[in-house]
Amino acid sequence: MNPLELTLGIMTAVGGFVDISELVFAAKAGSMFGYALIWVFALATGGIMVFGEMSGRVAAVAKQPVFNLMRHRLGLKLGLVTLFASLIANLITCAAEIGGVALVLRYLTGAPYLLMAVLAAAVLMASMWVLPFKWIERIYGLLGLFMLAFIAALVAIHAPWGKIAGGFVPQVPHGLSTKEYLVFAYFAVAIVSAVMFPYEAYFYSSGGIEEEWGPKDLPMNKVTCTAGFGLGSLLSIAILASSAQLFTPANVSPELLGSSALEVAIPFGWIGLVIALLGMLFAISGAAIETCMANAYSISQFFGWEWGRHRKPWDAPRFTVTWTVLFVAALAIILTGIDPMQLVEYAVLFSILVLPLTYLPLLLLAGDKSYMKEHANGRFGKTLGWFYFALITAAALGALPLYVLTSGGQG
Amino acid sequence: MRKLLLLLLVSCAACSKGPQADAPAISEARSLAAEWALVNQQAAEQKLTAPYVRTMHASIHQQLQTAATSLTQPHSVYGREIHALLKEPDAASPGALRARADRLKQIEDSLESA
Repeated sequence: MNPLELTLGIMTAVGGFVDISELVFAAKAGSMFGYALIWVFALATGGIMVFGEMSGRVAAVAKQPVFNLMRHRLGLKLGLVTLFASLIANLITCAAEIGGVALVLRYLTGAPYLLMAVLAAAVLMASMWVLPFKWIERIYGLLGLFMLAFIAALVAIHAPWGKIAGGFVPQVPHGLSTKEYLVFAYFAVAIVSAVMFPYEAYFYSSGGIEEEWGPKDLPMNKVTCTAGFGLGSLLSIAILASSAQLFTPANVSPELLGSSALEVAIPFGWIGLVIALLGMLFAISGAAIETCMANAYSISQFFGWEWGRHRKPWDAPRFTVTWTVLFVAALAIILTGIDPMQLVEYAVLFSILVLPLTYLPLLLLAGDKSYMKEHANGRFGKTLGWFYFALITAAALGALPLYVLTSGGQG
Repeated sequence: MRKLLLLLLVSCAACSKGPQADAPAISEARSLAAEWALVNQQAAEQKLTAPYVRTMHASIHQQLQTAATSLTQPHSVYGREIHALLKEPDAASPGALRARADRLKQIEDSLESA
């Protein structure tokens, strides 16, 4: 293992972990339920570590990206249904991320929102066209480390560490009304969805193939997934905890993306505000690229086209056209004037519905010794995998009724 | 069976009217008023940049407008309170905004306990 590669991999995973949905749901969850939902973040982070590691391992050993497996394992019809559903989920997520980037640019400059959306899309598309895969991943992941300001802010406001530690213990708050219990359940499901977004597995495993991973890269894959996602999750937890500490007493349940940045501005002033907004800008930009690329990877892999950013754009023309069209489609959604915060709600809802279909073939293949040989899931890996599969299936079944009953978490 | 249940849930949500149906909008308006107060307080302490404050004001106003238009009873006590909030100037004092947020919170609590 090259220590520099490993450190960069971890830092990239940390910086790239948080996206618009985590920013929104972490801040809201903290203001509404204090520290009581921290354990859900921790639980879901375990899930993305497990499935992220599996997708990286399958990419390294079987050299199979997720959507290739899906068609083989689920058959053409069910595979197509999954492809279509995940395309919708990722497209909505990508649009929400582009809207998020435009909003952050507006907070930074005061320029009109729609103009910022067009500018953001142009810059992101240019960087996707020009930069090789590794540099796309690194630039946005590493600049996303500005988000560490949220952890510094939590320290600066003298957070109640005992209460935060207590939040890691699975719990449901006492004395809530039936409606509040439903909202709590909705938030738990939304957090699982936001942390385990399916595009993360598509992007990560396809990235492994882009970078030509082999069995020698398996230890790096394991450490990157565990440390990178784990430390990244701490960022979300810091946003939640600061929100509980600063917003709950003020009766604020953050309705706007910019509210999260206040968490850093309160202890550090305008410099803190700008650093927080820059962190949000790069983290959400990275997520916009990942969701768009994940969709292009999915379609290309499903239909067996040439794909990958390791090729020149004209050497994989259908892949290039696909990501370009998808990015323009996501921008078009934003240009209709739809509120990106509303899109975040839809993205989280659609994604949780797709999650079981995404992770089932991966789980089956990672445990298949004919493909994976000595690298197949052991007893521990299988148990963890099926536990998380049961969890996301339960969350998927509950998501739609909870969304309707709570008016999208409004109560 | 599942489709039927969902259809029923959606129909119930769509048909409901009155203060209970307006509860989410009241809650949103209360939070926005409190958020507005917090922004203005931090701005007064020179902890925020001008573009950020302007954008937050515009977004809060837009969200409040949406909440106000979604009310099924716009002439109710809470409807009047939300409309009064909309008439506040961008640079309203944090104290005045907090007082409005508190009044909406009281209405919200009384609806929850009803």
